[in-house]
Amino acid sequence: MSLCRLQQQLLSDSVPPRPLIDEIVPMSNLREEYENGSAAFVNQIDSLTARGYDSVRRTRGDGDCFYRSLAFAYVERILQSPEPDFAVASSVSALAATRDSLDKAGIDKIVYEDIYDEFVGLISTIVQPNSAGKKLDSAGLLLAFQSPEMSNAVVVYMRFLTSAEIRVHRENYEAFLIHPETHEPMGVDAFCANIVEPLGKEADHVEIQALCAALQLNVDVAYLNGGSEEGVVDFIPFRYASGSESLPLVLLYRPGHYDLLIKGKQGEQELRH
Amino acid sequence: MASISARRLAKELREIQGEGCPVGISLLKADDFATWWFSIEVMGESLYQNEAYTLQFRFDSQYPISSPAVQFVVTDGKQAPIHPHVYSNGHICASILGNEWSPVLSVVAVCVTLQSMLASCKKKERPTDNDRYVRTAPENPKKVRCHLPKSVSSANSFPDTIPL
Repeated sequence: MSLCRLQQQLLSDSVPPRPLIDEIVPMSNLREEYENGSAAFVNQIDSLTARGYDSVRRTRGDGDCFYRSLAFAYVERILQSPEPDFAVASSVSALAATRDSLDKAGIDKIVYEDIYDEFVGLISTIVQPNSAGKKLDSAGLLLAFQSPEMSNAVVVYMRFLTSAEIRVHRENYEAFLIHPETHEPMGVDAFCANIVEPLGKEADHVEIQALCAALQLNVDVAYLNGGSEEGVVDFIPFRYASGSESLPLVLLYRPGHYDLLIKGKQGEQELRH
Repeated sequence: MASISARRLAKELREIQGEGCPVGISLLKADDFATWWFSIEVMGESLYQNEAYTLQFRFDSQYPISSPAVQFVVTDGKQAPIHPHVYSNGHICASILGNEWSPVLSVVAVCVTLQSMLASCKKKERPTDNDRYVRTAPENPKKVRCHLPKSVSSANSFPDTIPL
């Protein structure tokens, strides 16, 4: 490691850690980090901005960023639905059905029911006031996802859904399970037990596929990887929603990390608050 | 509502009290949601025949998201089993107690894994770095950084629970 990199590392180590998930910030916030570095990254950021993706919601790089940002976007979509009663009811019934696949995957009830209750409870407060008489709003959602107890419980439920999907539909996934460090092929059970279920282990293509399938979501992952000097950004689509017109949730991938990518109006609205 | 940690531990305790533990494992004491003690014995033929050990579990408010702190008790005349992954101060080098912990595991599952770790042992010996480790060991066994060649992981010692 060069001296300069080492210094940077020391600097960033002394900065207090980023919240588990942060407020929306303009794309320029991300751009500044690359302005003295890679032109390819800067060009890609500019092309995203030109396409209307002008803001980003950043997450802590703790290995859970994919699960945390996807879960956040999932709940936020329900919260912003024009018909919240219907959106909450369909989400709660879809989540109730996921318990069957956890059972089939051999995950004990005792292990998942508390975190399931916690997650469904959070979604329900979008329409039903909690014990303090308060419904969930955007500020409350952000707070919930910044509190380790709630936020990590949700991450664990996402991990269980991913694991159950891979275990139950193993024939769809087993050819693609690779150890993230050694790149050796792995069996379904070892992969789920060692890479998917423990906290802090990063997600890759297979996990994204499995979680989108389990939650029946449409997701786009925008690859900000310096791969194109001209600034072209690939969007990798994952399409699992039953109603095909459902707009995808958009994640921003940079090597080893996921944030949420936000387009025009939504970002503007929130920034004005 | 009680915390996730208290709710989960209350359920685990009810299940242990209602259905009992697997053979060779028994609950010695659980008066709160902070510290539990178990007796653990290897059944059948093994290097540890007729030896019973005491395991201590300490839980923080983040359980089961974060792992319990698990160690063998080495006070009141009790000793840790002599095993290549168990230090003489009772700390255990097992990846499922560290970076491979997952909330899928429970207190009983940890007991069973450690029981099978003892059952499969071929030679009674301490870890090679035992003396150095014990001299500088942190109080909390969760802070153990394992550098032993092959530590106990859930992939090879935890029974496959898939019914399909």
